[in-house]
Parts: sequence; structure tokens; C-alpha cells
Amino acid sequence: MHDLSGILLRQLFIKNELSATEICNFFLHRIEQYEPALGSFLSIFSKRALYKAEELDAKRAQNKPLGKLAAIPIAIKDNIHVLGERTSCGSKFLSNYRALFDATVTRLIEEEDGVILGKTNLDEFAMGSSTEKSAFQLTKNPWDLSCSPGGSSGGSAAAVAARLCPISLGSDTGGSIRQPAAFCGIVGFKPSYGRVSRYGLVSFASSLDQIGPLTTTVADAALMMEVIGQHCKYDSTCLSFPLNNPLNQLKTPFKEKITLGIPKSFLKNLEREIGQNFQYAVESCEKLGYSIIEVDLDILNYSIAVYHILSTAEASTNLARFDGIRFGNRSLQAKTLIEVLDLSREEGFGFEVKQRILLGTYLLSSGYQEAHYRQAQKMRQLIIESFKKVFEKCQMIITPTAPSAAFELGYIQDSLEMSLQDIYTVPASLAGLPAISIPSGFSSKGLPLALHITARQFHDNELLQLAYHIEKSQPFIQKIPPQFDDNGD
Amino acid sequence: MIMEIKKMDWVQEKEKWQPVIGLEIHVQLNTQSKMFSSESYHFGDEPNTHIGVVSTGQPGSLPTINRKAVEQTVLFGCAVQAKVSLMSHFDRKSYFYPDTPKNYQVTQFNCPLLREGHISCELNDGQTKHFKIHHAHLEEDSGVLKHFTHFSGVDYNRSGVPILEIVSEACLHSAQEAVAYAMAIKAIVEYLDISRGNMEEGCLRMDTNISVRRKETKELRNKIEIKNMTSFSYMETAITSEIERQIQFYSLHPEEEIESGTYRFEQGTKELVLMRTKEQAEDYRYFPEPDLPPIILTEKYIDSIRRLLPELPRDRHRRYLLELHLPRQATILLVNEKKLSDYFEEGLKECSQPRALANWLTVEFPGRLKELGKKIWSSGIPCKQIAELVNLIEQGRITGKIAKSIADEMVKEPGVPPEVLIQRNSLYQPVHDTAQVEQIIDRVLEKNPTSIADYLSGKKKAFSFLVGEVMKHSSGKAPPNLVNELLLKKIHNRTDFK
Repeated sequence: MHDLSGILLRQLFIKNELSATEICNFFLHRIEQYEPALGSFLSIFSKRALYKAEELDAKRAQNKPLGKLAAIPIAIKDNIHVLGERTSCGSKFLSNYRALFDATVTRLIEEEDGVILGKTNLDEFAMGSSTEKSAFQLTKNPWDLSCSPGGSSGGSAAAVAARLCPISLGSDTGGSIRQPAAFCGIVGFKPSYGRVSRYGLVSFASSLDQIGPLTTTVADAALMMEVIGQHCKYDSTCLSFPLNNPLNQLKTPFKEKITLGIPKSFLKNLEREIGQNFQYAVESCEKLGYSIIEVDLDILNYSIAVYHILSTAEASTNLARFDGIRFGNRSLQAKTLIEVLDLSREEGFGFEVKQRILLGTYLLSSGYQEAHYRQAQKMRQLIIESFKKVFEKCQMIITPTAPSAAFELGYIQDSLEMSLQDIYTVPASLAGLPAISIPSGFSSKGLPLALHITARQFHDNELLQLAYHIEKSQPFIQKIPPQFDDNGD
Repeated sequence: MIMEIKKMDWVQEKEKWQPVIGLEIHVQLNTQSKMFSSESYHFGDEPNTHIGVVSTGQPGSLPTINRKAVEQTVLFGCAVQAKVSLMSHFDRKSYFYPDTPKNYQVTQFNCPLLREGHISCELNDGQTKHFKIHHAHLEEDSGVLKHFTHFSGVDYNRSGVPILEIVSEACLHSAQEAVAYAMAIKAIVEYLDISRGNMEEGCLRMDTNISVRRKETKELRNKIEIKNMTSFSYMETAITSEIERQIQFYSLHPEEEIESGTYRFEQGTKELVLMRTKEQAEDYRYFPEPDLPPIILTEKYIDSIRRLLPELPRDRHRRYLLELHLPRQATILLVNEKKLSDYFEEGLKECSQPRALANWLTVEFPGRLKELGKKIWSSGIPCKQIAELVNLIEQGRITGKIAKSIADEMVKEPGVPPEVLIQRNSLYQPVHDTAQVEQIIDRVLEKNPTSIADYLSGKKKAFSFLVGEVMKHSSGKAPPNLVNELLLKKIHNRTDFK
């Protein structure tokens, strides 16, 4: 059962071949069996999930209509609220914080009868690319337990790759869904900015954050988008119209000729193995009949710098609310107001978070804002315009997802070096474009490699459609890490 | 310090200086829900009973713009002929304080909704002054800290209530001008019905920037900011004394400049408390609020709001002076207090004597209600009844003197119509019997032959004297019209005979 996609599990449930309780128990057992080695979950909702599963079985027995996610076990990154459950954001500061409301995505999943299994590990406040910055635990890469699963949605990626659940939700600010999906050999989709409501997602950088699915197949990603790609009145940056039937559009052939752009000179320093794999992916695209052209996007060399300025600036204010006054960690040492603020934050935040808050505060300070923040905003605008120009010549752009395969845990210590992990994913975030990472092969060490596709703004369906066609032609899609590939039943 | 300057010199010295004052008026809007969330607000309720995930800054919560607050701001903009921005946006203003739940305030810094408004107001001396609004913007109010003996608490009920902050140019040159300007703003927001306007509940809070300069110079000196004044009289006191302090300082230390600083006005002690000097000034790190899209408006939308404009204070002011011919003082009193003015309008429907009615509303009744601590519009006396009182005088059915006694009783028994009061008390009932009045007149004319002669030789006063005598002898109950008529007739009859 573990090798089944979400869509197939739902079909078996609807056809009375499996009960929701069987499915739920099966995956809970897998979690019990594998989670100690993997460390992907921060909380597991055994009771809640089984209760929901029983409800669904009863519903089916009464022939009531069943939702689009009926009986599909889903894990949620621990920076997205599930009412009454802990939302820790991987931070000591929120280790006892319980969500006061459901995130819009949570509500939509539950309305469509998805079964929420638990919350997954992440870099503290989603700041990082290895999940090592979680205040609670390390998450391992299912393909090699000594390696990082990537981050910040490392828990969500590892859980799906190890088939502890077929689908999870992550959040992506500069690559936090796509890079871990690449490292773990699964599909990771970051929708257009505004496509999915951020209500109930603890903000890192509001103008970049997007929630998206991590799945084993492109079709499951499309299914999830069909559910969560809705307008939400509680998020003013959310699009006013819903995503139109992504699942239906998936299998249809393209009506027009598809041209893919490759920013060759931006990709000039690819690691050998990454380069070879990418070349292979390009060739398979050509075989599928897509035209390949070279496009100039050298401006993207600035994107990491721009991203760091904008994301830390926004984060420095988004994280200001964590002061120990109303919720979260309050230092027991604190005796005065200033001490409550200082010590609670000192004790509650990890080094990476503090570093980003300090940097962001500095970048917004009077005298420095003009030199840094405003310049970065202008650059962001230029990047958006460059993309628009390139999209006059091609519909989508392909690159590798990450500059390397999964690295060993502890291998990258320097924050700046870590930030280079996002070099190919950050541009789509800055421009608010939809982007997806799909498996494209393996390194010589047997670690997954991935292809990154970026599409025009709001062309999320077209992107999923292309990813689906490429996926069909690839032999290594849906490979399962050997250590996790025994059918527990 | 004032001791060191002789009184005469001081008056002369003050003449050489011009105060330069700017006002920031924070107007709490009266929308159903908060600026960025759906919670309600009601002043004085139990702490933390009007709160939600947005107004307590819970992680994962997001703001959404209250359209009604935008509409009210645009309406205000139309009322003061401001430029309404077709595109404006919100900014984050960062500072750590427990009354600000996100530790940043969402406000408009770079692109406010309104720019360049105009306020005209008449000062007490009848001079009309034109003041300029630099800009006005929307923002969210903070919570309120409450200090107890051993701890402090925060009440977030007020957190997130929409505030329209109206920032003047530095165009005010006296405490009186500042008060007149602020009162004009208060009147406008009340006429537009966009704020409860209740000063005691903090619906209107004022910050001011004050500096002085030699009259012959243009450049501005360091300014002092005084924050959080919640009454016009406090504001007048605070500004007046700050102006004097600065002039004294410069006359004693001509080479120095005062240090810029921010003070808080303590309501209790009426003293200024230093909050911070310029060196300690905070860096608010303003930057565009990424959780909110810009506010995009169309000319069509603005026009549709403009059409909602009610009669504004300045229109009413003009109407009272030019059409109703009210005295200036009464006009200002009425127009500046919308409730009083609306009350007056009610009475006008039943009364053709606006001047008399205005006098009863601005002088007679307030005098009687003052010790009771009541306002006439909430006294329980319908204005219709005051109009009736005025009509009774006009019709000659009662004298002014009796009317005043009736007014006393109307205050004591709010809601009882003057007609009923008259019927209950025979002393108020006019002498309708013409024969009786004629008798009195005859007696008066007998006794005052000189006055008759004076009147006949052209002295108008003599006639008034005779009328007064008749009224006196009738205990004020003779209808004045009847007295006039009969008196004239009788005098002329007498002369005809001779």
C-alpha cells in the first residue's frame, strides 16, 4: 500500500477495497516503524486521524458524498496551523504554542476529507535549507540517513519520500518546498504568489511565502492544488479567483507548441554531475517534442542577494511579535519589561533566526534602507521584468533545482554557503512565479537529482501539465528509497 | 524665570516672536469592525473582550483592509477638498511596546490616502482663517496598558481600531488658532458621522509640534512635541505655556537653541513629562506592509463618495449668518457643536424666529442646565417645545418674563409642553380681557402725562416706558402686542380730543 499515490488510495477507498481506518492505521504503523530513524514528524495525531478515518468509513457506509481527498493521509509542516494542535515552527519559542484557528489550507483539506496525520519538522521559522536549524531534532534523508533532506520543509519531504504519507504540505519562501523535494526524490510545487492562502501560515517573509504540496506524483500535486488553490477572504494577497481544474487539464496534450528556455550563462558553473543530469533532462524534453531555446537571465545572479535583503527585512518585523507578552516563551529570569522582551527572545530563538532578525533590522534602519532595502526592491522589479521579457519567447524555463545533490548533515556550516542552495529556486520566489521540482535521476552516490521548471505568473496549470508529461517519460519517477521500500503488511 | 524679565519688557518681547505650531489629530473612526479585522469595539467594556487573532497579533494571522474606514477617509478628504490618492499603501512602523501586539503598527507613511486639505474657521473675533492639512492617513490604534500595584496588564480592546490621523501644515500661529482648527476638524468628522467624536472616550487625541521664531525670520528652530492631549482646554493651556517657555528661553539665552524633545501631557497634574530627546529618537524602520496590497481607487468611486457629503459646518455657518441672520457668537456655538446644531434644526421646523430660538438654545437653556451638568440635546426637552415657547412670545400670548419662568419649569420637568405649564399656572395665563387691559392703560396714561407729551414730540423711549409701566401693572400678563396696539390707539385718541 505504501507505494500508492494519494489519488489511488482515495480510489481504493471509494471502491470499498480499503477502509479509511485501514489506510490510516497502515501509515500510522509505518510512522511508528520508521520515524525513529527519520525524524520527520514533530507531532503525530494518531487519535485525531483515526477518529477522522472512522468518520469517513461511516460516511461511506451511509453513501454520503466523499471529498476530493477522502481517506488520503496528509502531513502538514509545523508552521501551518491546525486548530488546537501545537504549531512550533521548529522553535523553542513556540514549543508550547497551540493554534487558535485552522489555517485556510487545513480547513480546505478537512472539508475535502483529507486525514491529517501530523506536523512535520522544519528549520526554525522556515529559515534554512537543511532542516538542521530545527530546535527539536534532525531529519534524515530517506535515501541516505547521513544526509540532509534539504529544507526548510525537510520533514514534509522526508515523510513523503519514505512513504510515511503520500502527500504533505510545505511552505516555500526561497525554495523551501522545491529543494527538499529535489533532495528526497519527490515532487515539490510552489504555486504562483497569491494562489494559496497564507492565512494560518506563520509568516517568514510575507511577500515571498507560499504554501504548496510535496507529493510522489505530479497528479497528486495537481489534486492538492485543486483543493487549496482557492480564494480566501482572510488573506488580502490571495488571488480572487480559484485555480481552474488543474487535475483535468493535466492529461490533455498542449494545444500550442511548447518552447522551453534555458538560461545558459546563468547555469555556467554547474557541478559536473548536475550538469550531466540536466543535459539528460533537456534531451528528454526535446524527445517529447518541446523546442529548447537559450534565454538571457544573467540578472538572476543578483537574486540571492536581493532575496536575502528582502526576506530578512520582512522577517525582522514578522518575528517582532514573539516577545513573551501574549504567547510563547517568556523567560523565567525576566523581572522587567525590557528583560521580558530581551531574555524571552534570547532564550527562545536559535542562532540562525537571531542572525536574520539582526540583519533585517539593520537593512531597514534609517540611512541603510536606501542603500540596501530600496535597491533590492528595485532589483526585484527588474528581475520580474526580465522574466516577462523572456516569457515572450518561451512558455517555461528549466534549470536544475539545486546546485548539488543532498549534502551530508553538518557539512555546510556557513549561512552564506547554505544560502547558495537556493540559487535556482529563489528567482521564481522573487517574481511570484509558479515553479516545480520533479525527479530527474540519481547521482553516482544514488542520491536523487531534480529538474526545476518555472512558468508564467498564474500559469500554474500549464506548469503542472508540462511536469506531468515529462514525469510520464521518466523511468526514475516514483522510486522509493530502498530502506523504506518494504510493504509493512 | 519670568521674574527675571520685567512685565513691560515681557509684553514687548512676546510681540517679537511668532509661534509656529503643527497639529496631528488622531480621530477614532466609528466603523463596526476594526481597521484590519472583524472585531467590534466599545469604549469602557471589560478588558480583552473585543479581541481576536489579528488584534492580538497571533502568529499566522493576517490583516484585511476595512473598506468602510477607507470610505470614511475619502469622505473626509472630499469634505476638506483634499487630494485623494488613487494609489496609496500601508507601511509597517516598528517599535517594541506591549500595547502594540505585533510590535509594529500598520500605518501609512509614504503614500497616505489624502494630501493637501483645507480648513477654514472663524475665530472668536470674527476673523476667518484658512489652514492647510498636509496629509491624512489611516492606521490602527494601539491597546491600552493598565498599571496595578505589583504588575501591569494590557487591554487589547482598542488594539486595531481605525484611526484617521490628520496632520496639519505648520501653519498655526497661536494656541487659539490651534484650538479653532482642532474644533473645526472635530465638527467636520461629527457632521460626516465618521467618529463618535467623544473627547472623554479618547475618540479625538492631539499631538502638537511647537517652535517659535523671530517675526522677521523664516527659518524654523528646534521644535518640541507634546503628545496625547485629549481636551481643547488642556491643549490651549499646554501650547500657551510652551510658547511662553520657549520665548523666555530665547530672550535669556539668545545664542542657544532649545533641545528638541517629545513630551507627554499629564492630564492629572497638567504638566509636561519628558518622554525622549532627539538623541533618543526611535528609528521606526518604515517599509511597505507586505501583507496588504495597495489601495487602488478610481475617480468614479471618489465621485460616488463625494455625492454622500452632508451639509458641512462651513455651509451651515454661512446659512446661519446669511440666511437666518443669527449673531456671530451664536453661530459659532451652534455650528461647532453638531448635536446642538442638529437640535436647533429640529426646532427650526416649528419656529419662524431663528434668532430668538438660537438665543434660547445658546444662552437661556444652557445657563439653566449648567448646574445640572446636562446638555440640552440630551436633557429630555424636545426642541419642538422650545420652539413653541418662542412662538408663544411671538404671538403675544406670553411675555418674555413669563417665558423665562416657564423655561425654569421646563428644565425641572423635562418633556412637559409649555402649553401645559401655562394651563397649570394661572400666573402664566395672559390677560385676554381687552377691557381689563384698557383699564390699566388708562390708569398709566393718567399718571404719566409728561411721557405722553415726550412721545408725541418724537421721543420713542417714552413709548417703551409706557409699555413697561402697563406690563408692570398687569404683572407681565398683558399680551405685549395688545398693549402696543391699545396704547397707541389711546394716546392718539387723547390727542384727537384735545
